[in-house]
Amino acid sequence: MPIYIEGVALEISFADARRNLSELIFDTVRASVDDSGREMGEIDSVVLAAHDLVDGRSLSSMVTAPAAGAYLRDEIRFSDDGAAAFAAAVTRLEAGDNRRSIVAAWGRSSEHDPDAFSRALFDPYMTRPLGLDEFVLSAMRAQLCLGRDEVREAHERAVTRRRDAAGRNPRALKAGGFTSAPHFPLDTGDMPLWADITVSMVLSTEPTAIRVTGMGQSSEPYLFGDRPLRSIRSLSQAADRALTEAGTPGSAVDVAEVDGLTLIDEALGLEAVGLAPAGEGMRRLADDPRANPSGGGASGYSRPAMGLLRIAEAILQLRGQAGPVQLDGVRTALASGSSTVAGQTQTVIVLEAA
Amino acid sequence: MKSRMAVVGVGQTSYKRAHTELSSADMIWEAAEKALDDAGMDISAVDAIVMGVAPDALAGENGVEKTAIFGAGKPYVRVNTGGVTGSSAAFAGASYVGSGRAKVSLVISLERMGQATTSQQVFNTIFDPVYEKDFPLTTITMAALRASLLMRVYGYSERDWAEIASRNYRNALKNPLAHIHKDLSPEDILESPLLAWPIHRFEACPMSEGACALVIAGESSIGDRVPAWLQGMASTSDAYAMGDRFHRPEGTLVDLLSLRRSAERAYADAGVTDARKDIDVVELYSPFSSAEAMTYPALGFCAPEHGPRFVQEQFTDLSLPSFNPSGGPQAANPVSATAMVRIAEAALQVRGMAGERQVPGVRRAVATGQGGATQFSTVCVLGTERPD
Repeated sequence: MPIYIEGVALEISFADARRNLSELIFDTVRASVDDSGREMGEIDSVVLAAHDLVDGRSLSSMVTAPAAGAYLRDEIRFSDDGAAAFAAAVTRLEAGDNRRSIVAAWGRSSEHDPDAFSRALFDPYMTRPLGLDEFVLSAMRAQLCLGRDEVREAHERAVTRRRDAAGRNPRALKAGGFTSAPHFPLDTGDMPLWADITVSMVLSTEPTAIRVTGMGQSSEPYLFGDRPLRSIRSLSQAADRALTEAGTPGSAVDVAEVDGLTLIDEALGLEAVGLAPAGEGMRRLADDPRANPSGGGASGYSRPAMGLLRIAEAILQLRGQAGPVQLDGVRTALASGSSTVAGQTQTVIVLEAA
Repeated sequence: MKSRMAVVGVGQTSYKRAHTELSSADMIWEAAEKALDDAGMDISAVDAIVMGVAPDALAGENGVEKTAIFGAGKPYVRVNTGGVTGSSAAFAGASYVGSGRAKVSLVISLERMGQATTSQQVFNTIFDPVYEKDFPLTTITMAALRASLLMRVYGYSERDWAEIASRNYRNALKNPLAHIHKDLSPEDILESPLLAWPIHRFEACPMSEGACALVIAGESSIGDRVPAWLQGMASTSDAYAMGDRFHRPEGTLVDLLSLRRSAERAYADAGVTDARKDIDVVELYSPFSSAEAMTYPALGFCAPEHGPRFVQEQFTDLSLPSFNPSGGPQAANPVSATAMVRIAEAALQVRGMAGERQVPGVRRAVATGQGGATQFSTVCVLGTERPD
């Protein structure tokens, strides 16, 4: 059963003292429902992605789910990336469990410590005492990737292009935010801009202008030693599945919004989804207009909203509503979302304009 | 539900205060291996894995479920819906099968609260840290609030709570996996210390660790396995503030509107028209014996005002369903997993594989989930008959 996008909304802000988290969520979900042209009475499902440790309270969906429209509806919350929640919503609609679903994800970096969140991902006895966080893995990847002169040169241009794209993206964070201290050889330009992000969309079984044509998910082992660092195997597998289902090669998509914690992860992500050959991801980030035109992590970053944010940016491209970062003739879009630890689980969504 | 599917494998660790000899991954793997063994499958037959883990703070590690990834390369997602985490995970696994994206899904729930020295404090952070801070609201006092309301409005007595609890403990004596094995009479329970009036210590659930897993297979993958057909599944979310649930026409705080709405939808899918006659076994997620009473009218077993009478009827009318033959959450409450344990126990009953706690002739069983200060409710109907 084909699944369609009826409405989408996103907001990237920072430390907005006028609104609490529930109000941020309500505003974005309301905007997505308004965008869909539907009434709340026509929506029978709510699928959320949120982390207690980001929201700052246990079972945070108690207070956030009603703000997302869950009152007396079939609601489920994933403590996973927003793209995984999107995928779960698709399965619920395909299975006939629901007819129309809100999918929402958020993260408020101004009210939690992203570095502490990352350190808590590691085993408290064996690995946390080493001072590991997810940026360490990104730095290890960077050491492997940035060895060649041509990659270092492309890296400089990619940093500039990403920053410029975020500057032109009207939805990107324009003031406030912060970055974590980079681990060698990462530089400030590689780092995500921590922000407050809320994203929401309305999915439906009724035809609209935007259709989900492919979906794939995959996972990797927990221990880094069991994973290849030079590539993101789970993202490759997820992309293969999504693109095969869509009947589209990765090289043929008109726009790719690929999630990655750092610029290095975005480059490896482009390679994994097939938009760049192995070793060419950084150059494509520097030169290929199809690669993360939104500005990627430089436009604002907060777990676990990123996968849904990437999907939202892809939808806006397909609708021709991306503003100054709009590409011409976008018919097919790919978006990915990753979850901890360091992209251990991946979801890829392929969308098409009717 | 549009597709036919069934639980064909059940795996559970034992439940106890702390599994000090097992890591989180060990517990997940033990439950998963048992479920796969029960289904006669290995991990290669599984297309999607859904994990259920509730507050990270209880495990002391963020994303603890990901330490246990196996069958790498498969979809692997985590659900966190508090007390209904286990049933939500099962429903999410069923959606993967129902969508056709998986022929078989493996769903696992883990509770690791034995690692936390501050479990109750962690639970108490479910309430608003600003507006409700000055109100002594905890997971126990919130239950006491409901129990006292039930006594005032519907005429329940402290004796009713003790009798329900006693029945659950005695049932648990036949369940080797249960955390609590005590033959407690109603008098024993009434003599136990008060936690918050009218709730006595032995009317409350223990804090347990453990893991539970289910293998859910689409019809084409069931083969000659013994199925517990998933006949109806429904989930409903309510308002957060308890005050918003007192004076509304749809139902008060103790009417469990979210459970009633879920039951209506699940029963409709399952073809249940008379709960007293159509259901043989009920596995309830009621962490307090008084909370169990709230479910009776919501699930269609009696009118709200007849609740106290229904407590007594259970001991005399053998035509009524058996409630919590496993002992229920008062005998083991691994919070993240408890709602899945209810489905697991219901599936074992339907499949005739519940051992000493088996109820004879079970054709249909109901499992409930309850979480978030009764904000979230799930109902799952399982049966021997393949759905139409």
